[in-house]
Amino acid sequence: MHSCNLDIEINKLSKIEGHADLDIRIRNGKLEEVTLKVMENVRFFNQAVQGKSFASVPQLVSRICGTCSIAHLTACIEAVEKTLGVVPSAQTVLLRKLTMYSLMIRDHALHLYFFVLPDLFGIDSILDLADDKKELIHEALHVKEAGNNLSKLVAGRAVHAPYEQVGGFSHEIDPSRVPILISELKKVRPSVLKLMDIFYNCSWKLERKTNFVAIATPDFSFLEGKIKSTSGSVIEEKDYWDHLHNVVLPYSQASGFQFEGKEYMVGALARMNLNKESLHPSTQKDAAKYLAVFPSDNIFHNNLAQAIEILHSLDHSIELLRSGEFKKEEPAKPTRQSGEGVGAIEAPRGTLYYWMAIDEGRVRYLNLVIPTAQNLINMRGDIKKIVEDACASGVFPDELEEKIRREAEKIIRAYDPCMSCASHFLRVNLN
Amino acid sequence: MAEEQVKKRVGIFSLTCDEGCSIYLTEIFNQKLLGWLERADLVYFLSVKNKTDFSGLDIALVEGVVTSQKDKEELEKIRSNARVLIAMGTCAMSALPSGQRNTFTPEQKEEIREHTETYGFLPRALALKEVVKVDDEIPGCPISEEIFIKTFERYLT
Ligand code: SF4
Repeated sequence: MHSCNLDIEINKLSKIEGHADLDIRIRNGKLEEVTLKVMENVRFFNQAVQGKSFASVPQLVSRICGTCSIAHLTACIEAVEKTLGVVPSAQTVLLRKLTMYSLMIRDHALHLYFFVLPDLFGIDSILDLADDKKELIHEALHVKEAGNNLSKLVAGRAVHAPYEQVGGFSHEIDPSRVPILISELKKVRPSVLKLMDIFYNCSWKLERKTNFVAIATPDFSFLEGKIKSTSGSVIEEKDYWDHLHNVVLPYSQASGFQFEGKEYMVGALARMNLNKESLHPSTQKDAAKYLAVFPSDNIFHNNLAQAIEILHSLDHSIELLRSGEFKKEEPAKPTRQSGEGVGAIEAPRGTLYYWMAIDEGRVRYLNLVIPTAQNLINMRGDIKKIVEDACASGVFPDELEEKIRREAEKIIRAYDPCMSCASHFLRVNLN
Repeated sequence: MAEEQVKKRVGIFSLTCDEGCSIYLTEIFNQKLLGWLERADLVYFLSVKNKTDFSGLDIALVEGVVTSQKDKEELEKIRSNARVLIAMGTCAMSALPSGQRNTFTPEQKEEIREHTETYGFLPRALALKEVVKVDDEIPGCPISEEIFIKTFERYLT
């Protein structure tokens, strides 16, 4: 009696970045097809960068994605610098770390408080929280604001940050603001500890053996390190392309990736599974109980991992702000005008790769590998598992549809996908 | 004394773009949201809500450019449901940067032709006012915080 036929369509998935649809087809009680369709209209960045001066391209690619614009800006700057032999100063590297931390704080906070908490409390929006939980809205806004103010101080703005440039920062930090910011970052720490506890106590579980891949940075600063996988690979950033395979996904405006021939996951969970020893000492101390969860195969622990990364971003930022003198500096200059290079960083949603070729100061070629595109195949595998488990659970067809809708949306949100990003740089031609 | 004032129904919409203006708006919210919610109901904002009822809007905030037939239909639907329509950001105001294909060379246009034809793109990306009547505009990429607050609060009262 449960051998039902069911077509489930979810148009415009909500509480994710960008537009995506999900179609699920069940025949005779068996899953036939899962299609996750990226519905973003392409904006043709491949072409838009061609022939542009290397100095202007970082601000141009920043417009790929509003929410993680700082990640695109930073990865692109790194690619230009590697290509043209620009060596940033120690202060620039420090400011970049702070800029990345400001992004992690506000981006993860937006995801956890606004996109995930409603599922946890069974409500449509964080704005519908019951009175006894209303303080979470205030906490959400304060944590985001701390990240936003850190962006403002260091990089000028949280979205399309104007100060971060090839070779350095165009403005220096206002020293009178530093103590104010340190106390603001400290003040939101208890809220983040509470957030970690919420996700630690969350019973959601989806385990499916997969491979995790991330750049393991020695100070967990999301910038420089070796690419590592839980399957045991250790790779230089510049060699990434030898290990990734582009996979065309039928019916989708985006393509997926495999790592050394297998599906894999990138993002906060991958970073935590591969590199938790590098977190800031204060984070290790106060999150010890939560860190014991990792390594974990439970995809929903991506939420907990993001909350831990907010704490680390606060803790390391406080230390860096205290230590820096923040002098005015001239930007580091290119030592050549042509070449090819790779910029790779950990963006909020996972490893982001930029491959750039520059001729006489003008960009000839750019190829990107986007975190969400890397997660698409794994995400689809997880949705399949959810549907198969639901079909096998023996609930009635009308309940089945509700259950699948709810569970599928929950797992997609756990990945924190960014469809604005995923739709770009689909075509790969490497000649 | 206070007679319960009817709250304004507000919707936030994204056409083709990077959603940078609405993301920046969530940063403006850090300070402003709770105050605004006393005078406004956020009835449509996919970044925050699932429920998607956008009939009888008092204020529609729209970011992005009209690049496809589908964008055009969506914008027309928003317009017919909204008393006031505000364009957010330079994309919505003047079609750039998200409509950057408008500035491509003939060779580049040829390169993207197959894609634009397959996905029902318009001959060029359009600013909102080329498609519907726009009541107000907020410049910036992303929107200027100051101008947004001033403009939005004017329509809230
Ligand atoms: S104006 Fe700028 S920030 Fe706003 S949607 Fe367009 S590209 Fe994004």
